[in-house]
Parts: sequence; structure tokens; C-alpha cells
Amino acid sequence: MRKELEAKLIARLRDDVVCVEKTDERTIFVDVKRAGFREATQIICGVGARYLCSVGYDNIDRDGTLAMVHTFALDDRNQFVCCRTAAPVDDPVIESITPDLPSAGWSEREVTDLLGLRFAGHPKPKKLVLADDWPEGIYPLRKDVPHDLVPQGAEDVAYQLDEAPPGTKIVPVGPFHPSLHEPEHFAVYVDGETIKGCDYRGFMTHRGIEKLCQTQVSYNEVPFIAERICGICGSVHATAFSQAVESAAGLVIPRRAEFIRTLMLEIERIHSNLLWLGVAGHLIGFDTVFMQAWRVREQIMWLCERLTGNRKTYGMILVGGVRRDITPEIAQDILTVVKKIEEELMVIYRAVEKDTSIHKRTKGVGTITRQQAIDWNLIGPVARARGVDIDARRDHPYAAYDEVKFEVPVLDSCDVWATLVVRVVETFEAIKIIRQCLDKMPGGEIFVEMKDKIPAQRHAITVVEAPRGESVHYVITGEENRPERWRVRAPTFTNLQAVPLMLLDEQFADFPIVMGSIDPCFSCTDRVAVVDLQTGNASSVSKAELDAMSRKHQERVKK
Amino acid sequence: MWLTSKIKQILMVMKPGVVTLNYPAERPPVPKNLRGQPVWDHQKCIGCGGCSDHCPSRCILTRDVCQELRVMLYDGSRCTYCGRCADVCPEGAITMSNSFEIACDNKEDITTRLELFMMTCQRCGRCYEMEKTNAIDRINLKGFRYDNLEQRAMVRKTTETFSPDMLKESDNYQRPSEK
Repeated sequence: MRKELEAKLIARLRDDVVCVEKTDERTIFVDVKRAGFREATQIICGVGARYLCSVGYDNIDRDGTLAMVHTFALDDRNQFVCCRTAAPVDDPVIESITPDLPSAGWSEREVTDLLGLRFAGHPKPKKLVLADDWPEGIYPLRKDVPHDLVPQGAEDVAYQLDEAPPGTKIVPVGPFHPSLHEPEHFAVYVDGETIKGCDYRGFMTHRGIEKLCQTQVSYNEVPFIAERICGICGSVHATAFSQAVESAAGLVIPRRAEFIRTLMLEIERIHSNLLWLGVAGHLIGFDTVFMQAWRVREQIMWLCERLTGNRKTYGMILVGGVRRDITPEIAQDILTVVKKIEEELMVIYRAVEKDTSIHKRTKGVGTITRQQAIDWNLIGPVARARGVDIDARRDHPYAAYDEVKFEVPVLDSCDVWATLVVRVVETFEAIKIIRQCLDKMPGGEIFVEMKDKIPAQRHAITVVEAPRGESVHYVITGEENRPERWRVRAPTFTNLQAVPLMLLDEQFADFPIVMGSIDPCFSCTDRVAVVDLQTGNASSVSKAELDAMSRKHQERVKK
Repeated sequence: MWLTSKIKQILMVMKPGVVTLNYPAERPPVPKNLRGQPVWDHQKCIGCGGCSDHCPSRCILTRDVCQELRVMLYDGSRCTYCGRCADVCPEGAITMSNSFEIACDNKEDITTRLELFMMTCQRCGRCYEMEKTNAIDRINLKGFRYDNLEQRAMVRKTTETFSPDMLKESDNYQRPSEK
């Protein structure tokens, strides 16, 4: 693959290609000059690569440049391609790839905000990550900015929403979202009750975890901080980070540790899928599902408490292995609990699979075609519900996934219902994987000691399949026992970009479930303000009222 | 079709079992592995500072007041109960207890402060298990440390020998605010 890619790149770009190298079995790094960057990404896409994310990093101290990496995955060959380039800090402009790959839009805007690298030809060069009153010219991820800098806030600065299409009204949903439980702000453009578009302003809880881990802590503590990126897929982030560091350092961890990691990831998947099933039921006003799914879920939280010492944020994973061993008693305990969950989930699934009220609220809702899903690089259950057959566990096996057998459910009805089915089926697959893991788990150590220092300036990328899609972690190792750059791309980052497309021409009352179907990290709720553009009067809708609206809609479709 | 579904749903909720615990009337069962509030045994602690070097939330601070006196401060208000301190402690001085009812109205109630009288050999990396452990585990702070206990801030500076200047400097430690 490396030779093939190199030949193609040199044929088109000639002198712009600096080097094409393969650092390990999976990863190919392509270094190109700035002029040929966009074309290089087009060539890489041309060989069938799927865009993952982009990473920018500060190289000013070394050679006075800001560097940029676009990462791609070749799913059928289990390989990653990272295309790198650099721009001098006094002329930090790189050609944007967003016109070719729409899902690169946010990554590039993020780099612009955090590093000051600008992208020529970006269709929407607005602020994404930083606060609206963040002063110009301070780029937080540059090395000369301290991690705890608190700049002076400005007043009367607000995000300018996109122009509403003519004939529509704006319904702002947020900043505290009624169904996502997270501070993010959607301006939904509605014509009557039909959604005609939306603009998104989020990242209000951007906490600078990456900066913190690049300046303050060491490799050893980052897995715990990584785990707190997401309350639901914590182990995923910890595993991804640990794997990236291990891959950069060339560290091979014991097989038993890999099995325990797989086990934790699958337990987490069961938990997450049950949680999502409950929330999805709640969003469409079907609280029986919510209550029952969460009742089943409670058992897995108790299990984890016995297994790891905590209901969530298990804290099991470290660079080099895992912290706690699975004893035979615990293994037996896990088997008993998953058996019970399997039975009870089957009861729930049987009870709802043919329920017409669920069908009416989910079938044909949030529809986008398979091609659109591929164009927007959807991932996880959202993509699998739209006929895109990708799963990082199978395509890029990590931990012990190469030894376990499981099915990847793919449906092609392209709506929220398919997402629901995919996630329920995945829960059963997760139970299968847990049983295989416990059967096949070899003995031995669970943690490996590392003798040498981790060399600086190594790049590594890993992909871990979280319950809601794949997480990509890109690590550049640094001096002082800590990463120099650590980029986390959570699954929602990609899936959320396609939400405007899913919402197009849907009913406003379906907004919560369409949004909920991508399973954006759930947290807490507040209120929605409805502004009538013509009169400028603002009225507020409380959560109860929105729920009531949603339920009224439910009753209407029943008739 | 919906009728059979509804019947199934009714059957499903007929014998659901209850997972809600009758808390606080009854104390819930606490698994023995629970990572609850960490407890320090001041008689076992040798003041090596390993816990404070590994604390992801930086809530264990170490300050050398003079050559012989080291203060270890555990600020429970910031603790994430990951149990890493208990893992790395070479003397087993820290245990994760199973106490979890630790909400309180005064921060000091969940703060542990150890004042340790240190022997003069503070320079050799102490007894913390540096040799046999992982390179990524290796602590990057050795010798004398000057965290600011009043501001609850970790000052990432150490010296080989005790330095009164550093002590004074860290006394006036300020968080950076403007570039």
C-alpha cells in the first residue's frame, strides 16, 4: 500500500512530496509541501480512504512552523494514512479540504481557533471552540500560552448565527439543551413546524483537557483525565490514549491485559446501549422503555462497582496494562449478570419491536441516504443504520478483538428506528464478546513495566470503537514524560456535523429524537426560548412544555 | 399488532423487580472493592510524595516547610477517587476505605493534613519504588517541593537541597491571568 500510494502521489505532485513512510504495520505517514496538501488528500481519498479527523500542532520552537495532519483510514486493509504538512508561523495559511470533505469543517475551524492556522477556501470560517469574547491573537494550544491563562472577558460579543432562509423563523434550542443534557446551542430555522435548517454553536464546556495534559500531567495520569472526557464511554478514551502511547513507544502489553480491556469496553457498551435505549424511549414519550431499560442497566452499574470499585469511570486502564485483575469469582459474577441482562433485554425488545407508537415516531425520521452518510463520514450505529458497513473493532482490531467473533449489524432503512435496532443487536453481540473473552482469557501478568523513556516526537494514531461510534486519538510524544500533542476526536464530533442534514424537512417535535439518535453526550436540561422574528417577542418554553409538545405530537400520529 | 405489543409490555412491567434502594433508611450494600474516601495512616507514611506525583487531579500537595518538616495535604474536595495514590504507595499507608457519605459543608472536614518529621536524607529519591518500576511511572519531581497549600496549587518546582528562596517565592504564588 505504501508503494502504491507513493507512486500515485509522486506522479501527480512530483517535488511536493517530501516522504512517504510506514512507521508500523498500520500507519503510513505522508509528508507533503504546503502547495500540494489538498491534492494529496484528494489522492488519498481516491484510493478509498475514509477521512477521520485533522490535528494541528505547534512546531514553532523547532522550525518556526505550525503543522497540520489530516488522518484517514483504509478500512478494508486495516491501515491509517496521515498526511502532514506545515506552514510558517508568519504566513499560516493552508488550503482547506472542507470543500472536498465536508466533515473536515469542524476540525479545521478548531485548528484555526486553537492554533491560529487559517484555511483558504473554508466555506464557514467562524469560531467553533473558543468563547466569543476570547481575545484575538491568543491561540491557546500554542506553547507560549500558559495552561491556566484567564484573559479579560469582553462585553457585547455574541455569536452571529447563519442567515435564516427566507420565510422561516428561528427557534433557538439551548444553550442548555432539553434533550441532549449538554450546553450547546442550536438555532433551528422552522417554517411552520417543519425544520428548514439549523446552525450550531457549542463547545461551551470546552475545558482545555488537551492543553492540560500537554503541559501539566504525565503519561501516567492522562488515562484518568481521558476517562473523564465522557461519562459514558470513559474506558474507550482511556484505552485509546493508552494504545496510542504504547504504539508510539513500541510497548507490547500482556495479552491478559488486552482481554481485560476488551471486557471493560464491552461492559461499557452494554451500559451505554441500555442507557441510550432508555433515553430514546423517554424522548419520544415512551417512558415504559425508559424505566425498564434503566432498571436493567442498574445491574451492570452494580457489577462494575464490584469489579472496579466504581459505578462509572472505572479507572481500570493505564498505559502499559490494566489495574485490576479478573478473579474467577468476578468472572462468574460477570457471567451471571450478563445472562440476566440478556434475558431481560430480550423481554424489552420483544415488547417494543412491533409497537406501532414507537414505529410512528422513529420510522422514516431523521432519514439521510447511504451516500450522504458516507459523504459526511458518519460513524458508529448512526452509520450502520444507514447501510455503511464500518466497525473499528472489526476493521482495525485492537486489544483482543482479533480473537473474538462477533457480527456487525448493518441495516439500510436509514432512520432512527434502524439506529435503535442496531444498538439493541449490538448489546447482544457485546454479551457474546464478554463470554468469549472470559473463555479465552489467558493467564499471566496484567501490567507491563517499561524500562526506557518514551522517545519524543513519535506520532501515533489509534481508533477505538465507542458505543456511539469510533473515537480517534492522535498522540505526539514529547519531552518531560508527557505528550506534546494529544488530539481526541470523540464520535459526536463527526456525527453532530451531519445533524442539520438529518433534521432537514423533519417536524420540530421530532428534533429531540433525531438529535438523540446520534447519542450526543447526554447531560442536563433547561429551557428553550421561542423568538418570533416578526414581532421580536421572546417567550420561553420550559422542558415540561417541550415534552408536552413532543407528546402531543405523539398523540397526533397515533390517530 | 399494537395490542400484542401492549400486552407484552404489561407483562414486562408486571414483574419488574425494583432496583431503587431504600436509601438512606437502609444502608446500601457496599462492595469490598469500592474506591471510597482514601485514608492516610500517618504512622506508615514516609513522605515520599509518590501519591502527589501520581494524583491525576493534583489534590495531594507536598510542601517542605524546612529541611526536616514536610507537610502533605490531601484536599478531598477535588479528589476523583481513582485510587491511584493507594496503588503507588510503597508502604501501604493509603487505603481506599468504603466510606462514601462524605458530603459536608466544610471543606476542612474532608481534608487530611500530615505533618511529617523527615530525616535528613531527602535527596536520594527516598524510599519510593523508583528502581523497579515503569519509566512512565517514574516520578519527575524529586527532592524538596514547595506546593502552595493556601491556594491549593501545585507549584511544579523542586530543588535538590532545601531552598528558603523557593519557599518564599511559592508563598506568593499567583495564578497567571493575562498574557
